[in-house]
Amino acid sequence: MAYDWRKEEYEVTRPGRTRIDYRLEIGRALVPIGVERGFAVLDPDRAELLRAWVSAIIPANGDRPAAGEVGAAEYIDAIVFLTPRLRGVLLDAIDMVERLAAERLARHFVGCSPPEHTTILEAFEANDPLDAFPMVRDLTYEAYYAHPRVLEILRRETGWHYEVAFSGSELEPFDEALLTRVRSVPPRYRNV
Amino acid sequence: MADDAERDVLIIGAGAAGGAMAWSLARRKVDVVCLEQGDWVDPALRPKNHLDWEVRARRYWSPSPNIRQWPSDYPVASEGEDPVSVFIYNAVGGSTIGYAGNFWRFTPSDFRVRSLDGAGVDWPIGYDDLAPFYTINEREMGVAGLAGDPWSPPREPLPLPPAPIGPHGKLMVDGCEKLGWDWWPTEQAITTIPYDGRPACDLKGYCPFGCPQGALATVDVTYWRKALRSARNGVDLRTNARVREITLHPDGRAKGALYYDTDGHVREVRAKVVVLAAGGLGTPRLLLHSTSQRHPDGLANSSGQVGKNLMVHVQTFVIGRFDDPVQDWRGTWGGAVSSRQFYETDPANDYLRGFVMSINPGWSPLNLALQVAPWGADHHQAMDNYLNHEAVLFCCGEDLPEERNRVELDWDNLDRFGMPGAKTWYAFDSNSKKLGKAMIGHGTELMGAAGASGIRDFGLSPALGWHLMGTARMGTDPAKSVIDADNRSHDVPNLFIADSSSLPTGGGVNPTSTIQAVALRCAERIWEMRSELG
Ligand SMILES: Cc1cc2nc3c(=O)[nH]c(=O)nc-3n(C[C@H](O)[C@H](O)[C@H](O)COP(=O)(O)OP(=O)(O)OC[C@H]3O[C@@H](n4cnc5c(N)ncnc54)[C@H](O)[C@@H]3O)c2cc1C
Ligand code: SF4
Repeated sequence: MAYDWRKEEYEVTRPGRTRIDYRLEIGRALVPIGVERGFAVLDPDRAELLRAWVSAIIPANGDRPAAGEVGAAEYIDAIVFLTPRLRGVLLDAIDMVERLAAERLARHFVGCSPPEHTTILEAFEANDPLDAFPMVRDLTYEAYYAHPRVLEILRRETGWHYEVAFSGSELEPFDEALLTRVRSVPPRYRNV
Repeated sequence: MADDAERDVLIIGAGAAGGAMAWSLARRKVDVVCLEQGDWVDPALRPKNHLDWEVRARRYWSPSPNIRQWPSDYPVASEGEDPVSVFIYNAVGGSTIGYAGNFWRFTPSDFRVRSLDGAGVDWPIGYDDLAPFYTINEREMGVAGLAGDPWSPPREPLPLPPAPIGPHGKLMVDGCEKLGWDWWPTEQAITTIPYDGRPACDLKGYCPFGCPQGALATVDVTYWRKALRSARNGVDLRTNARVREITLHPDGRAKGALYYDTDGHVREVRAKVVVLAAGGLGTPRLLLHSTSQRHPDGLANSSGQVGKNLMVHVQTFVIGRFDDPVQDWRGTWGGAVSSRQFYETDPANDYLRGFVMSINPGWSPLNLALQVAPWGADHHQAMDNYLNHEAVLFCCGEDLPEERNRVELDWDNLDRFGMPGAKTWYAFDSNSKKLGKAMIGHGTELMGAAGASGIRDFGLSPALGWHLMGTARMGTDPAKSVIDADNRSHDVPNLFIADSSSLPTGGGVNPTSTIQAVALRCAERIWEMRSELG
């Protein structure tokens, strides 16, 4: 969609592209958000890593939970459950992140500190030919910003009222007095 | 395979134009059959009926057919220097299903670009020819607004009062007043009060994500509601009916169409008159696919112009960030307030033609996060900075027709019936690039005058592809156009094309109001020519 991309990353989706484009792939994969679920595709170790990964993407801050606390990892797992062609992309990415942690810090990714998570994920993001990083990032954002708990906190903290999309709102009717100056200008359209 | 009876009129496509056309003919008791490859949109599926509406808009409601992959969709590919992000909906209501209801009349100069500015082409009809049909359309769609805009010719009052402009609208008014620019409350196809059996808009916002109560004038809730209950039991609307080709009589007149029904079986409909209203992509696709010995390059294509002259407008969003909260979660998305200060050609500019700017509320959290919030430690700070602090200026300017910008058949990507997809090729010319630069400059100036402390924009490329025009254009010269002033094919006397593809130039505003006015006029011409057409 026009509104949901980063300018520098946007690529017009082409059906003939050979590399798997997660944006096309997930088109038919709608997964409910804010429901309890386990993992269907990831084994426990990889699931734990993914939870740490999504929590590095959106960390906790004040009342705002980390993405891993609102089920973002389970959500991504549920998406790749519905899109088998993306499973390999995710599994490879998780393994690569784990390998980077081992090579650079001689530790498991889940055992690293938040700044170390950032360093490793930055290294992965910089060399990610399969677009796994933006896939995990975008799906994390989805899981987070459609979660009722997060929307409620945003309403409290930023004044952005998510409930209005359902309940409607009221605004002052248009005040025609504002048009006093513009009403007095001569016709501006070209006569033909 | 063939239906027994020959019908009066066959319309292909139940979108903005097809719906208007069907309604207009059916109320004159014309026997109309309409073939639409899509289905009715289940209101329960409109994203805004759900808390996760922003995610749904990236799935089955995505305006990109490649992403949402409805059974009615066909593949679209995008090439050229400025590839077009093609946004269409294939359903009863066509692309209005996901539109924003920003609803404009063209101005008189929009029909005379060649005569006035020496570029592009003139329409074979003018503003005065369309004015009565604009009026009918505004009544039937239910358009809100205020007559008296100095940038439009005098006109009768609109059927509905203008929508509230909200805090974002007030910011734009303040900016314009400061700069001495003209502005006006935007005409929007939204019921600001209960109207014609539809409830009033209650400002749920983010209209393209599906209006929960049908206050937004999508064609399924306007024309189709009435066309189906018109005299003679109404229009015979067949959904899930993908037309494969238009068929011909031995004498070269259109005979009807072959289409795949819900079960994928081919069927035939015959009619005295065939009207194509399959949209700026669907119409050239079908014409180019309707080859025969007599028409090896596609039907109605003796000019070679079918699929050429694709116009998409020069578009962007300029977004102002304000220190005080903007309450950007409420208000319509059809552009509360607009300015046409730079709409007409100005000899002082280094470009021809012009553009419009319309203000909307700011983005919702997921869209905003995807646009601007970095991952990691600074994420929340970015969200706090932008969410509820932005106003979004939609900018739309004229691009002129060029042969190289085009729609072709894409044999590498087939639809589920084995028909080729559509491939667009597009590049902005130097006039469009200069106009776009000026548009972003003036948008930025306006946001600054309104008090923005930060301003960003979407740039111009890839081209936003929700206005797809000109690919089977009207004209007087059969060597340079596909249809005549009555939307009738130069080559096939009982074939009419009356949708966005028929527009010779696209003005600098959202086009649906004009597309529908053209369709209503074409319906009237068909009615007037009925004895000749059999
Ligand atoms: C996200 C979005 C926002 C927009 N916002 C605005 C706005 O604010 N204001 C505005 O003026 N315009 C807006 N538009 C544009 C507007 O929707 C289109 O200009 C308009 O709908 C075009 O009308 P049309 O009749 O030419 O085509 P459509 O409305 O697209 O209708 C064409 C129909 O033909 C059918 N069809 C195609 N091929 C076949 C076939 N082979 N067999 C059977 N059926 C077929 C399609 O399924 C479709 O239903 C927007 C569009 C989008 C996508
Ligand atoms: S703002 Fe009004 S028209 Fe738009 S979606 Fe909401 S209720 Fe419908």
